[in-house]
Amino acid sequence: MSEPEIVPDIMRISWGPQHPMSGQTRILLDLDGEKVHRIIADLGFTHRGIEKILENRTFLQGIVPIERMVMADTPNIGICYIKAIEEAMGVEVPERANWIRSLVCEMARINSHLYAFGLQAESTGYFPAVFLWTTVDRAWILQLFAELTGARWSLNFFLPGGVYKDLPEGFENKVIEGVHYLRRRFQKYWDAMVENYTFEMRCDDVAILKPEDAIRLGATGPVLRGSRVAIDVRKDEPYAAYRDLDFEVITEDACDSMARTKVRFREIVQSLNMMEQIAKEIPDGPVRTRVPFFARPKAGEYLSRVETARGELGVHLFTDGGMNPYRVKINSPTLRNMYVFERLAELDEILMADIPVVINSIDPWYLDSDR
Amino acid sequence: MNPVLSVWNLIATYVFLPTDLIIQWVSDFFNTTMDILLHLPQYAMEFLTVNAKPILQITILPGLAWVIVYAIIAVWFERKFLARAMLRVGPYYCGGKAGWLQLIADFMKLFFKEIIIPRDVNWLFFLAMPVLLPSVPALAVILIPFDTHWVLWDVGGIGLPIFFAIAGIAPLIPIFTGWASKNKYTFIGAWRVAYMYISAEIPMVICGAAVAIMTGSFNLVEIVKAQQNMWFFVPQFIGFVVFFLGVFIQSERTPFDIPGAETEIVLGWRTEYSGVLYGFVMFTEYVMLQAWALLFLTLYMGGYNGPVLFGAATASHIFWMVLKFVTLVTLVILCRCVFPRLRMDQMLKLGWYYLTPLAILNLIVTLALKLMGVF
Amino acid sequence: MSLIRKLIKPFMIVFPHIFRESETVAYPTERPVFPERFRGRHKFYFDRCISCNTCARVCPCNSIELVEVVGREGKYPQIDYQTCSLCGYCVEFCPKNALEFTEFVEFAEYNRSNLVYSPERLTVVPDLKEVLPMLKRRTEVYHTETAMKYRKVKDV
Repeated sequence: MSEPEIVPDIMRISWGPQHPMSGQTRILLDLDGEKVHRIIADLGFTHRGIEKILENRTFLQGIVPIERMVMADTPNIGICYIKAIEEAMGVEVPERANWIRSLVCEMARINSHLYAFGLQAESTGYFPAVFLWTTVDRAWILQLFAELTGARWSLNFFLPGGVYKDLPEGFENKVIEGVHYLRRRFQKYWDAMVENYTFEMRCDDVAILKPEDAIRLGATGPVLRGSRVAIDVRKDEPYAAYRDLDFEVITEDACDSMARTKVRFREIVQSLNMMEQIAKEIPDGPVRTRVPFFARPKAGEYLSRVETARGELGVHLFTDGGMNPYRVKINSPTLRNMYVFERLAELDEILMADIPVVINSIDPWYLDSDR
Repeated sequence: MNPVLSVWNLIATYVFLPTDLIIQWVSDFFNTTMDILLHLPQYAMEFLTVNAKPILQITILPGLAWVIVYAIIAVWFERKFLARAMLRVGPYYCGGKAGWLQLIADFMKLFFKEIIIPRDVNWLFFLAMPVLLPSVPALAVILIPFDTHWVLWDVGGIGLPIFFAIAGIAPLIPIFTGWASKNKYTFIGAWRVAYMYISAEIPMVICGAAVAIMTGSFNLVEIVKAQQNMWFFVPQFIGFVVFFLGVFIQSERTPFDIPGAETEIVLGWRTEYSGVLYGFVMFTEYVMLQAWALLFLTLYMGGYNGPVLFGAATASHIFWMVLKFVTLVTLVILCRCVFPRLRMDQMLKLGWYYLTPLAILNLIVTLALKLMGVF
Repeated sequence: MSLIRKLIKPFMIVFPHIFRESETVAYPTERPVFPERFRGRHKFYFDRCISCNTCARVCPCNSIELVEVVGREGKYPQIDYQTCSLCGYCVEFCPKNALEFTEFVEFAEYNRSNLVYSPERLTVVPDLKEVLPMLKRRTEVYHTETAMKYRKVKDV
């Protein structure tokens, strides 16, 4: 990549791929003492060419690679692609399948938010207790996934036309039990970590992103909602069963890193409420409309948007009447949020010790931005 | 002449007298030996406590074995304790169920690893500093009294300023190390060390001065003796809080392990070390904690005094010191689980805006108490 | 004051965790029992397969290839576990249910060529005790009011 010339008195540090806290990316920081003058994000370390892979697979085969874009909430990404395929094929999804899809999507959202929360705890100073507790609590969700679908992370549970299989016996009771358990743990996390004096010192007033800047730069997801802007695809264009579920769009007023962390945290509570509602009120019926495996949908352009845990994911599908899609363009939330992250150095004064806190409040998943 | 008498004289001289002498000699010998054997334990105790005492102190307590065994046990304990707080198991396989041989296995592994010296470093400082790092705080440990007459180096009664003088050298070594490693991360770690230690040491020295004023002498044994009725954390509560925070800062424990902040600057000034040098550098953290914790106990928590009800036998002084020390170390390790790390500017604000004025306030309160004759 | 509460309350919450049981499964001495839908290694039934090639066409990772088997007529699937993603399409779309999932996930081998499972090898699922000689217990997950725990189901 072309690097601009280095001005003297500034030390350029590579928050590089060999770093305990950087993830799979390289971020170049121009430092003057502790103050960060400029951030350059060097993405692309984990590019796998998913968009090209999808051109060589049929529609149903393509669901398997695209779900591995973000391992933490795979159903949310699968459902985006599947919605586009269903629109192209003109398939009607039964009611119960929509409710099961929402249930699985919300469980994956909790999974991803707990993981992001644990990473935020670890980034503020290697605060290992909370990170391991979130791992333990996520083990419960992964166990439910294993009982429902057969796999813990990469579910492959959705198909165009519905879901794979129905809920097993007694699954609703397990969901309700788990919801009560997680609500009690939520209170402990809130007291031990979010209301922790040192954690507040680290995260308050760090990297303030004003609402007009957030909209102008194209932030999405909890980054946008932590800056007082209430935009959520589940409310604006409801899909699956979100029209019937009652939940709120969480926003926070403070616009700093703590606000983004709190948004994610309170969204877990909303997801728990939704899971309980689904487990109690799910309608009966079939779960799948059979779709031929090597189907050829009509030629055209189809667009679908969903709200993943990190933000809004968009899939733009071009079909030409063949068995494979002609082109799939994926618009990932992390890429847009990383752009916001780069501009944060100009908007607000960030110190070098704040960089892990800010990165993890944006919650990137680099496989998502590199596809 | 009577021939019978002369024969009797002959027999007496040449038979009875030597026999008597022999019997006397044998019984003398026997008595002396029994005397020595019966009093042997007493002689041994005298030897150990009077003649060989310095050797014991240097090797065992509070010398080499104490520092090394404490470091090994502390690392194992920290790993197990943190693992329990995180709902994990910790070291499990080495040495039975509890994994107590894990530390020895780790240390042996470090001995066999290659020491990588990057090309452009200042090799003299790079290789020499890790040897000095644990030695300087270990030097400070020898000033601490474990009993009324069990001080390794009784520096003519000025133990407290000597401790602070040795502690003043301690920050220099990480700064040299960080500069010598010629790495941007270590450079950042080096000047963070400079900022942090200086801002913390001034309040601690002022608090130490307040304790010395309250006692009336610099001798650490005198300070402990003056706490026989009431430990000093009661009248000098502000100094207690300041010094307690200072113990964390000076030994680079969370929430103040900013120079060695792993999530931001990859181990800070210790980044470039591998092999046995890494072992020394890791060992340093525990030795520094030990030195400052022992000083904290001596100044504020009564040193080797037990609770006021109990009597004063020799062994139980050392027992109380070890018990208090273990409790303090457990508390410090628990703080690691609970609090994240502070940022550099927040820590400087804490040091200069809060700790230093509080320490001066503590000094004023102590002077007031002393002048009013309360203590 | 809220300052004291924010400093002391985290201690009171973290400290009881020390006395809780650890949530670690001591693999390979213990191994959990996986749920019945679990997607592990495949198991193949020779007499149900009709060599229709659906599994090979459906596989998104191109891991299945139909090969000839000594002593039988027709071609049978050979699965390459270097690329298989355990997605389940071959099991779902086989018209005769000749492929099934088991709970066996111990795939490690010393040679790469051993990861390509021939049809005869797919038929036989080895016992866990042969692959994990140090296995002592099988555990399962159960939920209590406050935790998710593992309890022993049976000794091996």
